[in-house]
Amino acid sequence: MKRRFSFVLAAVLVLIGAPAAAQDAYPTRPITMVVPFPPGGVADLTARPVAAAMEKVLKNPVGVVNKQGAAGAVGMQSVAVAKPDGYTLLLALSSISIIPEADRLFNRPPAFTVEQFAPIALISADPTILVVPADKPWKTAKDFIEDAKKRPGQISYSSSGIYGTLHMAMELLSQAAGIKLRHVPHAGAGPALTAILGGHVDALASGPAVVLPHIKAGKLRALAGWGDKRVAALPEVPTFKELGYPDAEFYIWAGVFAPKGTPEPVLAKLRAALREAVNDPEFKTSMEKLETPVTFKQGEEFQRFFDADAKRLAEGVRRVGRVEAK
Amino acid sequence: MLDVLQNLALGFSVALSPPVLFYAFVGCVIGTLVGVLPGVGPLAGISLLLPATFGMDATRAIVMLAGIYYGAMYGGSTTSILMRIPGEAASVMTCIDGYAMARRGRAGAALAIAAVGSYVAGTVSVVGLMVMAPPLARVALRFGPPEQLALLLLGLLVLAYMSSGSMLKALAMAALGLLLGTIGIDQMTGYMRYVYGVVELGDGLGVVPVAVGLFGVAEILATAGAPTPPAVIKPRLRELLPSRDEWRQSTWPIARGTVLGFLVGILPGSAHIIASFVSYAVEKRVSRRPQDFGHGAVAGVAGPESANNSATSGAFVPMLALGVPSGPIPAVMLAALMVHGVAPGPLLVHNQPALFWGFIASMYVGNVMLLILNLPLVGLFVNILRVPYPYLYPAVLVFSILGVYAVNGSVVDVWIMLIMGVLGYVLRKLDFETAPIVLGVVLAPLIELSLRQSLAMSDGRYAIFVEHRIAAALLAAGLGLVLLNLYTFARRGLDWRARMALAEKGDSP
Repeated sequence: MKRRFSFVLAAVLVLIGAPAAAQDAYPTRPITMVVPFPPGGVADLTARPVAAAMEKVLKNPVGVVNKQGAAGAVGMQSVAVAKPDGYTLLLALSSISIIPEADRLFNRPPAFTVEQFAPIALISADPTILVVPADKPWKTAKDFIEDAKKRPGQISYSSSGIYGTLHMAMELLSQAAGIKLRHVPHAGAGPALTAILGGHVDALASGPAVVLPHIKAGKLRALAGWGDKRVAALPEVPTFKELGYPDAEFYIWAGVFAPKGTPEPVLAKLRAALREAVNDPEFKTSMEKLETPVTFKQGEEFQRFFDADAKRLAEGVRRVGRVEAK
Repeated sequence: MLDVLQNLALGFSVALSPPVLFYAFVGCVIGTLVGVLPGVGPLAGISLLLPATFGMDATRAIVMLAGIYYGAMYGGSTTSILMRIPGEAASVMTCIDGYAMARRGRAGAALAIAAVGSYVAGTVSVVGLMVMAPPLARVALRFGPPEQLALLLLGLLVLAYMSSGSMLKALAMAALGLLLGTIGIDQMTGYMRYVYGVVELGDGLGVVPVAVGLFGVAEILATAGAPTPPAVIKPRLRELLPSRDEWRQSTWPIARGTVLGFLVGILPGSAHIIASFVSYAVEKRVSRRPQDFGHGAVAGVAGPESANNSATSGAFVPMLALGVPSGPIPAVMLAALMVHGVAPGPLLVHNQPALFWGFIASMYVGNVMLLILNLPLVGLFVNILRVPYPYLYPAVLVFSILGVYAVNGSVVDVWIMLIMGVLGYVLRKLDFETAPIVLGVVLAPLIELSLRQSLAMSDGRYAIFVEHRIAAALLAAGLGLVLLNLYTFARRGLDWRARMALAEKGDSP
């Protein structure tokens, strides 16, 4: 009885508070930012300062909720089907474009598609860099690629998982340079790093922040980066673009999305809030501590970046195809 | 050595400063709580509290998070002993003999031994961490996929010693556990296995819902199904402390558990869980009275509870010495450091001596705090047993559901727990033990991944297991153990398990 009453009450409230009025007043209640990965990961560490800065701008609570599972699919799916009212946002990484493509590859009904999201803004885009153990003979990316050509399928690399971001980066390089490497997937970026430090694999594509201390300590050597510019912390390391492999372009990026169908005025407000949020000094300090430079893009620019990236990754996944286990 | 002492003095000056001391205490209290609550374990506790540490300085943050980790190992034994519900996954083995002790009126003794064992293990293993971290970490790095596989296979042999009844039944349960462990995404190819469209199953069955279901929920169902409720045990004050004999019986298990847990902890994977299983098996193997295990053997509490505690220190070895995680919990703690602009890596000890030594010193302090915190709590906790079952068990069931839900915020996990509870109940009625299922679920994904990674490394050649010397040695040791057992089996015909099973059958026609 009580439940029915509150249901009626809710329905009446929805009808009275006509949608247009609600949009003008947006936001009137706490906003949830879903992070589809566990606490402590890149997505989580980016989302928290973003949410804190947005909270200041919007003068409205923005809470981060970790909804992890199945390499991010669980949380992404939950936002894809959430009510498009601007109160549920998603902080996603590059893998948002990979998961539906991998589902397609296996003829599974996809958990979600990229079309179910409205991109709001790109927060950061870190190029991966190619590292090898310091005791390996390759001094430059050229050495590495030439040797790989001589010994196809002999040089091994670890990754954060099959079709994961670190796998796709290597795959894009392999295709651009016409080489064949041996893939040893690991359960996450941490174990992938452990594998190369232990000398169990020969190479790794990794975000710069996690390998920097090991490069400084002389355990790993950086050969080249996947970005269109050199990484600020490693100015002497060239990009694959400079070396003549423009197709080897890859970023581990983090962006904010809303479910498709979120009203345009709400999206506009969110875009404005994020633009202000990334200039917040506290936000900047947090990102500097993580050694992750802010790369802000929104509107058309982000859409173009997102589409181009999604296309590259989708092709990458298709070219890898289904992997036959040994 | 003088260096170490000087550094340690620096560490204690950090660790004993009031704010750091305060956060270590907060961590220990929260850790004890997440350990006591069924389902919620250290990973969930640390993950939930990670954002709260962003505003602190790096030392305080890491000291508090570590306090949660080892504090949970203290708290985890409580519900295992009192109610046969694992407070967290590493306390599964404690359920068996700890609960049996409680049924004999020795709950207080079991809790006290668990606390003291945890304290000894925690303190001694920090010494190991302090003195040997860099060389040990280098050894740990040499454990690649082939070495890990060999070690895990050796761990599988442990299964044979886990049952107190029929070995055949125990192995059948282990096989079931290994099969359940294959659910989820195939890590090497991306295929989904036995998922049936449930996205959440992509990660496989979580150890926590499986363990809480098979032990806790099954126990509740079994009690509810009993014709008469079990008598409420009224603990008496003088029975709270372990007897001289019980102390004597736990000395060596604590010592062995400490060393073993530390070594297992260094290696990648869910170390504290595996360490407790291995310790239980070792204690049973070396015990002069293996038939007591499962019926309230003190060693079955002392060993595993010490092992899971020193495994936490072991897990910090690769993290502090090299900046690489050995499992999900150190991974979250590394993130906590990165948020504060402290780059975890081989130079951490050198660049951040105050943080590193302060952290080490805080672990000594924290373990003392936990002992002081937990021993008086023994007197309080045993009073839970006074609560009549019709009130106690529904409350426990509610806490279990909440706890399991809280870990991932996933209703699917709650269903897994409930289904496992029913399965556990049925298996108990049929006289099957369920601990091997839990071990199977833990080991299956690790074994599969390391086997297939090894083969990916070698391009499909099995020779890799011979070429890697450590792997070959471990495999040879395993083979030796099997042959030895086969030999004794052939010589004696029936081993004590089978004889006991027969005897039990005769007793209860």
